[in-house]
Amino acid sequence: MTPIHVTTDIQMPAGYSEYEINTDRDIEITFTAKEDSDVFVRILNTGKLKVRTFAPKGVHVNYLFWNLSENLLDVEEMHEVMGDANVTVAYGEINRADTTRNVHMALREEGATGLLSSASLVDCAKTYNMNVVNYAPHTYGDMKNYAVVLRNGRLMIDAVGKIIKGAYRSESHQTSRALSFAEGQNATILPELLIDEDDVQASHAMSMGRVDEDALYYLMSRGLSVQQCTSLISQGYLMPITETLQNDDLKKKLKEEMERKMDELC
Amino acid sequence: MKTLEIKDLHVEVEGKEILRGVDLTVKENEVHALMGPNGNGKSTLLAAIMGNPKYTVTQGSITYDGKDILSLPVNERSVAGLFLAMQYPQEIPGVTNSDFLRAAINVRREEPISLFKFIKSMEQTINDLQMKEDLAHRFLNEGFSGGEKKRNEIVQMELLKPSLAMLDEIDSGLDVDALHIVADALNKLHEEDHMAMLVVSHYERFYQLIKPEYTHVLVNGKIVLEGDAELADRIDREGYDWIYKEYNVQPAAAEEVKKVSASIGTCAVRQAATTEETK
Repeated sequence: MTPIHVTTDIQMPAGYSEYEINTDRDIEITFTAKEDSDVFVRILNTGKLKVRTFAPKGVHVNYLFWNLSENLLDVEEMHEVMGDANVTVAYGEINRADTTRNVHMALREEGATGLLSSASLVDCAKTYNMNVVNYAPHTYGDMKNYAVVLRNGRLMIDAVGKIIKGAYRSESHQTSRALSFAEGQNATILPELLIDEDDVQASHAMSMGRVDEDALYYLMSRGLSVQQCTSLISQGYLMPITETLQNDDLKKKLKEEMERKMDELC
Repeated sequence: MKTLEIKDLHVEVEGKEILRGVDLTVKENEVHALMGPNGNGKSTLLAAIMGNPKYTVTQGSITYDGKDILSLPVNERSVAGLFLAMQYPQEIPGVTNSDFLRAAINVRREEPISLFKFIKSMEQTINDLQMKEDLAHRFLNEGFSGGEKKRNEIVQMELLKPSLAMLDEIDSGLDVDALHIVADALNKLHEEDHMAMLVVSHYERFYQLIKPEYTHVLVNGKIVLEGDAELADRIDREGYDWIYKEYNVQPAAAEEVKKVSASIGTCAVRQAATTEETK
């Protein structure tokens, strides 16, 4: 694990690496991949954060940003994906502090593939603006956002998939799911598709729902407390997001961290 | 000795009074049959004992092992030893049987059960109920057939070992083989752990297998008749009409019976035939 306290340029080694951000300052971090790599970034504390990543031609990179901050996380991200590169950026937001995240992912050259995915257990205010832009033909963009909104939670996701003119045979997709436990809980998801090219595929799917009272009663009738039921159901709802990570170590890491944190938060 | 004691129980659902003064006592190791026509309060009684939030107790008391059950939340009633095998078990996507059952077992223990011990007892139970081996890893009841759901209720019962099991038409949806498997599992829990049972079923066949010693007949929210196993047998042969006449009671929810006659199928045909005969 490499600690990060100041603005840093990181040339990532091949394979798996871990970083931990812990600082009071505003910082900027640049991750540059040279070969296929998998990156686990723990955010303990930070001022305003800027993250840039660069994936050169042909490399595969998975990032997992795991938010453990107890204060507001205000982050701006720019992800550049070059030709035939494949980048997944996953977010674990299972903490008790607000998050404001602005993400821009650019699929720059032909064959670029980019995925943003998030799992959020929302007990405060989480606001995400996500943009995935297809700048070149034959590019593939996707966003998957899964959230469980708890009693005091407010969730706002503005997800924009954009295909510019000339980026033919490109795809832009997104899936959003939100689940709440009581009436009056606050979740807003705005899926947007801005398409300037004709020869493309684009889609968005969204579902929002409330936990069935009968389901809660059924689990409780076997001895589980409301808190335990909430945790079990939330885990079941958010866990599929771990499948977006193509690296087994990262997948396992995310699963374990989610199980541990969710029991705490529910 | 753990005893369930119900006194003068009145229960409402959505403002409508379903139970209108029920008294019932079930002692440890006893097996009781709860009978009565559809829509007359059998399921309501079981749901009220378990604490289903849709059912409101407006009067009366329920105690178990001396504890005031009505003041306990649903999960604590379960930990106190009550178990309701439901008529329509819920499907819970995303939650695996094993995660759910391990959590449910652990709330009954001071130390969490070891993974090895849990897997062993889960395998044993799956084997007893002749369920598919992948049950543990499947989501709770999701995509299960009707019969599998019912058997899964008994899997849970066998692992949680309640002292009083309530069975709400657990036999419906089971084929003959499954019926025997379920009855064997129940009898084993009854014999080995002295589990008491309060059983709702319409079928004499199931009662023959689990042999209730007491029979209660619930008509229009009240227990109008009590007896031994012979009473269940007579109801199976003769129906409920003689009870309505002898005890001067009217069953509730006559409209439900009418609904049947409006549907197409054997029931409608039979209904039409009987109407013809009475003419």
